[in-house]
Amino acid sequence: MFSLYKKELQSFFFSPFAYVLTALFMFIFSLGFAVQIGQMTSNMLKFSFPNIFYNNFFYFIFVIPILTMRSFADERRGGTEVLLISSPLSVFKIVFAKFLSIATVFLVMMVSTLFFPIVTALNGEVMWSSLICAYIGFYFWGLACIALGMLLSSLTEYAIIAAILGEIIMEGLLFLDKFAATALVEAYPALDSVVKWFSLQRRFFYFSQGMFRLEDLIFFLSAIAVVLAWTTIAIEKRRWSRA
Amino acid sequence: MVEIKNLTKYYGRNPAVRGIDFEIRDNEILGFLGPNGAGKSTTMNIIAGYLPSTGGTVTINGFDITEQASEAKKCIGYLPEIPPVYPDMRVEEYLNFVAGIKGVKKAERKAQVESAMERLRITDMRKRLIRNLSKGYKQRVGFAQALLGNPKVLILDEPTVGLDPSQVIEVRNLILDLKKDHSIIFSSHILAEVSAVCERVVIINKGEIMAIDTIENLEKTLVDKNLLSLKVEGDKDKVQRLIKDVRGTGSITDITYISTELYSYKVEIENETVRKEILSALIANDCNVVEVSMAKLSLEQVFLKLTSQSRKRSTLEDMLAEETAKEAAASNDKKEEE
Repeated sequence: MFSLYKKELQSFFFSPFAYVLTALFMFIFSLGFAVQIGQMTSNMLKFSFPNIFYNNFFYFIFVIPILTMRSFADERRGGTEVLLISSPLSVFKIVFAKFLSIATVFLVMMVSTLFFPIVTALNGEVMWSSLICAYIGFYFWGLACIALGMLLSSLTEYAIIAAILGEIIMEGLLFLDKFAATALVEAYPALDSVVKWFSLQRRFFYFSQGMFRLEDLIFFLSAIAVVLAWTTIAIEKRRWSRA
Repeated sequence: MVEIKNLTKYYGRNPAVRGIDFEIRDNEILGFLGPNGAGKSTTMNIIAGYLPSTGGTVTINGFDITEQASEAKKCIGYLPEIPPVYPDMRVEEYLNFVAGIKGVKKAERKAQVESAMERLRITDMRKRLIRNLSKGYKQRVGFAQALLGNPKVLILDEPTVGLDPSQVIEVRNLILDLKKDHSIIFSSHILAEVSAVCERVVIINKGEIMAIDTIENLEKTLVDKNLLSLKVEGDKDKVQRLIKDVRGTGSITDITYISTELYSYKVEIENETVRKEILSALIANDCNVVEVSMAKLSLEQVFLKLTSQSRKRSTLEDMLAEETAKEAAASNDKKEEE
């Protein structure tokens, strides 16, 4: 399994792929950072880094389907899926190795954005505790989206379709939060609680406020587990029904 | 080594493989023949554990391919129709990766990759990106990949497609060499290739087995003893008349013009003595016999014969027995007419 993980990482880092995406990620972060500085008024000398994530969610999430789109679609197109499946690795191990490698790339992307808080820390003060909490929260949100992106990639042979589907679904998930705030949903408490429960952004909100709730962590972990299992099943199912 | 029992595969409602049985013995090369779309690749994909079967079992070295998938897959080296290579990787890097996912221990990896590269003569290409290799080299990299992990069974799906003639011979020799410590199943739609390499062949058509036999047996039974092929110089009508006058000759077919006054004929004869009589009759009448031979059904003809049949036949002998029975019935009819 480690070999596959290593090969996947190489395919990201031995090509411009990981670097371009990391640059894009940092660029989005830097824009958010600049805007926040620009909005600072003289009587408010603090701003929160977590807000950069919170306010630019859409742009960050945009990157993830691009990261995951090739994971299975390209294997199918290139005919290399045969190699993986006829190897002694189980399908779940294949899925998990790929997930870990993308998670690693995502981690590198996130770590590179630490550049901005570090520069800030050199000239001022940074509240590291809330910052780290927000990073952890955002990372888990990202992992859930990665799992989802991989599932979509396993459903199609075309990487670009996987990416577009991913954008649509992730946009839908972001919309859940706004949907939860509508009068229609609020009129039904049961529906409201379900929608709120699934709203990833709401969960991230607690992290960004520096609150590390076990509930949210378990939510993200179980979401990842369910989607990865689903991906495994989707691949198995296609093997059975391939026409 | 490998046992396939009642293997069935449906793609939706379309049957691709319909209840086939055969086995691959230890250290043998089994040829797997069939026209395009016969179910060759499907069968091989199932044996390699890429596709699950709809029914039936595949047992490799005692391990069931679905029940004990991991153990069974460790015994298999598979070269699919399209070599499963990553264009962005270098040859050596790719082979190391495959050795890794096949569970080859780190200490042995280097040696195995080296020996696989040497066997396929791609050592010079080790640092090249696979994307930049020619089709023949890609095919060899795919082949090298199948050898990693020292699998006992090699499944080769049309391994010589896209290779130039000298490479084809190299690959053939390699397969013969690998026979020492592997059991090999090797598919092709080129008959000459199969007969050059394999001991036994399975002929498949429309998902059903048409024949399982050794090449020798096939060739033995392929000689059609009752068809004489002649090339004779002389007037066409005269030659025909002369041949017909000999007792025991049947119809004359396939009269083809070769050059002035030279034609080739195919004559049905009852037995060997008729041939002598025909020859002496021709020579006595000043017809120069240029060439005499017993017409052999080529492997191609048998292949076509077998694969154009819609009914299932388990062995070639059955088919030939049926054929002779038919002929006997026909000659009986003739006698009655007389």
